[in-house]
Amino acid sequence: MVTKEEIMKIAILSKLSVEDDEIDKLTKDMGEIISFADTINNAADEGVEFDNINNLSNAFREDKVVPSLEREKILANAKDSDDGCFMVKNIMK
Amino acid sequence: MKYELVAGFETHVELATDTKIFCSCTTQFGGEPNTHCCPICIGLPGTLPKLNKKVVEYAIRAGLATNCEIAEISKMDRKNYCYPDLPKAYQISQYDKPLCEHGYIQLSNGRKIRILRIHIEEDAGKLVHRRGDTLVDYNRGGVPLIEIVTEPDFRSVDEAKEYVEKLQNIMRYIGVSDCKMQEGSMRCDVNISVRPEGSEKLGTRTEIKNMNSITFIAKAMEYEYGRQVDLIESGEKVIQETLRYDDATNTTSGMRGKEDANDYRYFRDPDLVTINVPRSLVDEIRESLPELPEEKKERYINELGLPEADALLLTKYRKIAEYFESASEGTKTPKTAANFIIGQIFRTVETESEKEQFDVSVSAENLRELITLLDSGKIRMNLAKSTLDKMLETGKKASELIDEKDMGGLDEGALDELCRQAVENNPKAVSDYLAGKEKAVKAMVGFVMKNSRGKADAALAEQKIIKLVKNS
Amino acid sequence: MSESKIARLHEGLVSKEFSCRELTEKYIEAVNKDNGALNAYVTVTPETALETASIVDDKIARGEEISMLEGIPMTLKDNISTDGIRTTCCSKILEDYTPIYDATVWKILKAQNAVLLGKTNMDEFAMGSSCETSYFGGAKNPHNINHVAGGSSGGVASAVGGNIAVYGLGSDTGGSIRQPASFCGIVGMKPTYGAVSRYGLIAYASSLDQIGPITTSVEDTAVVYDAISQYDTMDSTSQGRKGESVRSTLKNDIKGMKIGIAREYLEGIRDDVRNAVEEAVEVYRSLGAEIVYFDLPSLKYALPVYYIIACAEASSNLGRYDGIRYGYKAQNYRDVNDMVKKTRSTGFGDEVKRRILLGTYVLSSGYYDAYYKKAQNLRGKIVQSFKKAFEVCDVILAPTVPMTAFENGHAVSDPVETYMTDICTVPVNICGLPGISVPCGFDNKGMPIGMQLIGDSFCESKILNAAWQYEKAAGKFKPAGFGVKL
Repeated sequence: MVTKEEIMKIAILSKLSVEDDEIDKLTKDMGEIISFADTINNAADEGVEFDNINNLSNAFREDKVVPSLEREKILANAKDSDDGCFMVKNIMK
Repeated sequence: MKYELVAGFETHVELATDTKIFCSCTTQFGGEPNTHCCPICIGLPGTLPKLNKKVVEYAIRAGLATNCEIAEISKMDRKNYCYPDLPKAYQISQYDKPLCEHGYIQLSNGRKIRILRIHIEEDAGKLVHRRGDTLVDYNRGGVPLIEIVTEPDFRSVDEAKEYVEKLQNIMRYIGVSDCKMQEGSMRCDVNISVRPEGSEKLGTRTEIKNMNSITFIAKAMEYEYGRQVDLIESGEKVIQETLRYDDATNTTSGMRGKEDANDYRYFRDPDLVTINVPRSLVDEIRESLPELPEEKKERYINELGLPEADALLLTKYRKIAEYFESASEGTKTPKTAANFIIGQIFRTVETESEKEQFDVSVSAENLRELITLLDSGKIRMNLAKSTLDKMLETGKKASELIDEKDMGGLDEGALDELCRQAVENNPKAVSDYLAGKEKAVKAMVGFVMKNSRGKADAALAEQKIIKLVKNS
Repeated sequence: MSESKIARLHEGLVSKEFSCRELTEKYIEAVNKDNGALNAYVTVTPETALETASIVDDKIARGEEISMLEGIPMTLKDNISTDGIRTTCCSKILEDYTPIYDATVWKILKAQNAVLLGKTNMDEFAMGSSCETSYFGGAKNPHNINHVAGGSSGGVASAVGGNIAVYGLGSDTGGSIRQPASFCGIVGMKPTYGAVSRYGLIAYASSLDQIGPITTSVEDTAVVYDAISQYDTMDSTSQGRKGESVRSTLKNDIKGMKIGIAREYLEGIRDDVRNAVEEAVEVYRSLGAEIVYFDLPSLKYALPVYYIIACAEASSNLGRYDGIRYGYKAQNYRDVNDMVKKTRSTGFGDEVKRRILLGTYVLSSGYYDAYYKKAQNLRGKIVQSFKKAFEVCDVILAPTVPMTAFENGHAVSDPVETYMTDICTVPVNICGLPGISVPCGFDNKGMPIGMQLIGDSFCESKILNAAWQYEKAAGKFKPAGFGVKL
């Protein structure tokens, strides 16, 4: 059974905050989802390894420069930018 | 009680490819922020990585040059952690199937530093903190890196310094990186622990991150060794942690942040396919490797008969070795070129970076011409030396600086005559010599050299003068 | 029976029966009229559509040849990147994101002057089976707007089924093309993994995602698939179509074709759905196909294997939404880390967060081997069992969904129960196989039932051939009461 503490730990790894009033419901939901995932526990999986679909290898690119995009475009979707950089403002100052 | 230092290195080396590891943006250092970027290297939704073939080849090159085994099958994995300099919130790296494993670098004391693995990965962008704001520049994001991980085989700071220099040197020799520590194209993390001398058990280690100068590495290691010994001696415990070295205060301090959630959830990157390294490619790369500094040094000593000190100086940088090999080609003895380079030409390249560039005013061909004149007996050593100085000053060829009439040796009769004159014109030197001041003969030799315009064989002149004086 | 709408419109354009502008205006009008009810489009692009239309009209006027897809009004699921046109994944976190590059599939179609009417609704980040996890509310079923269009490509299916687009491109990670096509009574194909470039498709689960067509007929699916199945150097997993145009092999005789039925696919299926599929089996028998029955026991693990792998990849793929470079950014925060957490917690919906958490969990240290590694091994096992199946049959016939379109609001309550609706569609994604859903009947409320034809890797032509023959003999397509009347 998944515990609240485990949910909090994976929430931190996932960069998601969980409010106090959400944790019980989320733990219950996650418990159900994880026990659903647990149905593979007893499956025999010896001797099978999965590499990648279609077993592809060596998809390479040549080392040839293509001009980069204009900075204006690169920054176009950023909420805040300054001096040509993406910015996270210090809003506490 | 005496304590032994135990250290291991993780070194990040930026590869000198033209383009980034997963997109076609330039890897050039510097540039206005975010001008070396595209949808792929800023991690726009929907973009996919495509591996640069040269990155794989360079990593294999680095592996072969450090005696590694090259994997037949390799793959790329995602290392998941969230930080603003990492646009996808994962770094594409290699986890359990690195390209190279089980190599070593041998130190001058004979000890081998074992290399655990070399893997390829992408660099992160750069964060700048300005008045509390965080600014992000992704120009460096996606620049290819190799990470070279050693076993904890270092037992002294000197070994560490030598390793870093050697590694730097090898990478430059094989042309995979410029290893400019000040530009961050080579950065070291060091794991350090101490243990009572004679003990087999490893102590608790700390890791000093991201050092970019050999001096700092040495200072940081010395400081951290001292700090750990002090802790143990005062009955305290070393805590396993990640440290940062501050060169202003020469101390290490704990890094906060990344540490609290240290679970990278590595898994195979489904956007990239298996890397299959055919043995023919490994052979091809092995064939193309230049002679490495260590091999060169041994050859200079054993085959060219150079003293070890000379061999070391001449092989430290690839350009010097190439210069030496070109200048000494076809000459009577390589030692002559070595002496000229170390004795005179080195005076014009003072810093290490100048030595590395070895952009000197006398070309290797011109030095060879000078040595040929010397070898053929057309000029004597003294003249050769003074001519080389003039060549370094003016950049001119020896044949442009030496008068035709200065060429060619002095015939026996002329030398005898000059020696006779030297004795005759230096009565004080004669009497001094006879009174036991052997150095007085030098003045008479000087007379001969001056009056023969350097063409005389100084050693022969000295013999003749002594004979004349003794018989007088 | 359903004929090729694309071919008919193409004829009309070439013969100057109507101009591309007239056709486009007709569709724009229909979108304006019916999108309120269907909620299929989340962004409409009438200006660019009309611009393209005039280019096509000029070409026709100059007597130049036009391709089949040239000038045909269509739509893209809103997770396919379009340069200069916002692409939201129907998430608050990308609500105002405008790509600066084109997805490869859109690049291909744009070059052929496809007329883009707009971007269509979907479950947020393609995570859902009803389209109801969309930040913009779910798309409605054109056969009855009290029912869902299905998911995640619900908007494309609703638009195509409701004829406010001739065709559309969706994406299918665990059934997201086939399931809504089935719910809306139309055709949808998930191609072989690697046949169509994923470059520019906003990733849900990279090893499972694949773009494919949603159309009203098998022939239209073939036409669109022929156009988009090209090798793309930008996608390392891309291979393109193998072999000739699939459209040219559609009408081949299927006498002697071996149609396989895996018993497990028919377990736990609602009776009316099973009956409809069994009727289709009889149609195939009458067409001279040979029916082969076999077992696929590894299928019982397909659903948990799918969710573990999909969520693991998603947890990593969705890590990049941190508010810094694009998308929603929280306004009140203490520091960078707090900003990122608040951005993600507010920007993502509940289902997305649940899947990120599950994915993080199955990859985290201590759980990796028991979940992720094991799921990968079982994936290998399921791949093997399908390979074996294709030694005894040419195509596999199965239901697409165990039921028909549920009523609005039904799917949201129980996550695990909702996952179960994907049981018939996920095996195809796990194995990277092609699968097509074609209409095969209606339930007693008049909601469409779909059946699925599954082929071996890169054997799209076989399933399309079988689907076309069925459609010709007993096709169950019925236009819904919306959109352009042709």
